[in-house]
Amino acid sequence: MKTQAKPRVAFFDFACCEGCQLEVLSLEEQLLEMIELVDIVTWREAMSEKSDEYDIAFCEGSITREADIERIKHIRETADILVSLGACATIGCHNALKNQFSMDEVLHIVYGDRAEWFDTISARPITAVVPVDYQVNGCPASLPEFVTVFKHILMGKEYKPPNQPVCVECKLKDNLCVYEKGMLCLGPVTRCGCDAICTSYGHACFGCRGLVDDPNLNAAQDVLAKYGLSVEEIVGKFRVYNNWPELSLEESHSDG
Amino acid sequence: MSICVVEHDELHALVQRLIQQGPAMGPRERQQQPGFYYFDWLNSADELVLDYVTTTLPPKKAFFPPREPFLEFSRTDPAKVRSMTDEGPFVLLGVHPCDLAAIEQLDIAYSDNIADGRYLANRARTTAIIGVDCWPDEYCLCTSVGTEQARGSADLFLTPIQRGYLVEVRTPRGQELLGDSAQLPATDQDEADTAQFRREKQRRVTAKFATGVEQFADILAAGGLTEVWQEVADRCYSCGSCSLVCPTCFCFDINDDINLDLTTGARIRTWDSCQLPDFALVAGGHNFRGERWERVRHRWHRKFLYLYTQYGRPFCTGCGRCSRACTADINLVEVSNDLIAYAQRETQNV
Repeated sequence: MKTQAKPRVAFFDFACCEGCQLEVLSLEEQLLEMIELVDIVTWREAMSEKSDEYDIAFCEGSITREADIERIKHIRETADILVSLGACATIGCHNALKNQFSMDEVLHIVYGDRAEWFDTISARPITAVVPVDYQVNGCPASLPEFVTVFKHILMGKEYKPPNQPVCVECKLKDNLCVYEKGMLCLGPVTRCGCDAICTSYGHACFGCRGLVDDPNLNAAQDVLAKYGLSVEEIVGKFRVYNNWPELSLEESHSDG
Repeated sequence: MSICVVEHDELHALVQRLIQQGPAMGPRERQQQPGFYYFDWLNSADELVLDYVTTTLPPKKAFFPPREPFLEFSRTDPAKVRSMTDEGPFVLLGVHPCDLAAIEQLDIAYSDNIADGRYLANRARTTAIIGVDCWPDEYCLCTSVGTEQARGSADLFLTPIQRGYLVEVRTPRGQELLGDSAQLPATDQDEADTAQFRREKQRRVTAKFATGVEQFADILAAGGLTEVWQEVADRCYSCGSCSLVCPTCFCFDINDDINLDLTTGARIRTWDSCQLPDFALVAGGHNFRGERWERVRHRWHRKFLYLYTQYGRPFCTGCGRCSRACTADINLVEVSNDLIAYAQRETQNV
């Protein structure tokens, strides 16, 4: 950390809906406690002021253009600490859905006969382009994890995202299993840290926090097949959030 | 111990009285999902369901919460540490024999060797337990582990009969709970009804181990079952659900959660599971059970070998929650019988 009273924090966005920044804004009272500890110098969604000097950069969104690569590298060089904020920045999220097609094809689908005006590259998370010091998972970024990461940064501690599935937090809350309700849930292979928020409010887990380090996709295939889904449908379910790196259920059979 | 008969209305009134006297936890039906039950604090006797099959989490959550802040600290100079205050006494209602046995096993494990003061203090707040007999479903395996008529530390134990409930008054506290409730003397017919209930319960338990628990422990100790463990592991998510819903699992993790002032915080104990990949990960990066099949094996060894050897009884009370909770349909009895069959085949081949 550079010598100065409070570390300077900046928020940046790449290809995304900017919902993670909005989510952080919704911390409200906790934000007041946080600005006791840091100076926020750049935050497009929350303030007009800007600064090119900052110590901690929270970056949301995916890298989808050559220009993005230069920009994130610049942020990486400027900031002492770089944090990937949310699913787009950390695992690629919906942006990476386009990687199933040729870039030429997607340009023409979106921009038609103006396609040549734009450039695009396969979408990738920030974590695939530059090293990041901390990750906040989730779509939108999980607020409890954001606050935890924030505290870890200020205390100079490493933060290791939990390597256990959503089932753990769901069970600790005494929820009835989503499968018992006849719904399909990606909780058993999805990294927890969200306090099982979706399953606690009657939904299934969509897998927005990415897969655990060693997901048993073979088991997932068996279980989902039990509910009458084809491999294509299963892959489709995983693909909503988990496209980077390319997910291959077929290759997962050696997992054990 | 004495027995008597309490009619339905009278029991309802007794439960209502207990709830008015102080917090009472018991099985309730999930409003959104009829037919599914969970232990929770009761607001009225109408909420208590005594003919439930099972609950998602076992009643241990009353005195061993899934997530429990137990110590507050301040990183000031000098540092301050304060034990967090326990809440007051409560009663636990509608506990099945398997869960009564499990509470007894937790008491044993947490009192043995280095006693767990926090657990014991919370447990001491459980000032009464009322048990109730039950009908099994296809996952219940109580007869294989000998808990179908366990009573543990129940003060009162109820068996549903024609006239209401046959009540076993097992402790002076149980007598005190009954208080002014009308207690009818048990007739020969009541006792015959009770015996019939127990026979019928025994008969309805269909999930059974192919050997006794002693022989099963020997099979596990002999080893050579890797092929079976690997088959199970191929289907296992390592999601930890089986042990997180287990009434006898007692492993936990401890973490400090600091507040945003970066000065004060709390130390929190959270249920943990040996099925999770990082459970046996130690400093330096070594994982004692890094392979999925090693974790699967550990679960069976823990329940039916290590603690069986240590305490003379399997640390499984046959509630079947692990099998119900497994999204991958890994069934405790089926896997155990696969292990037994595999071991028997291997023996014949020698």
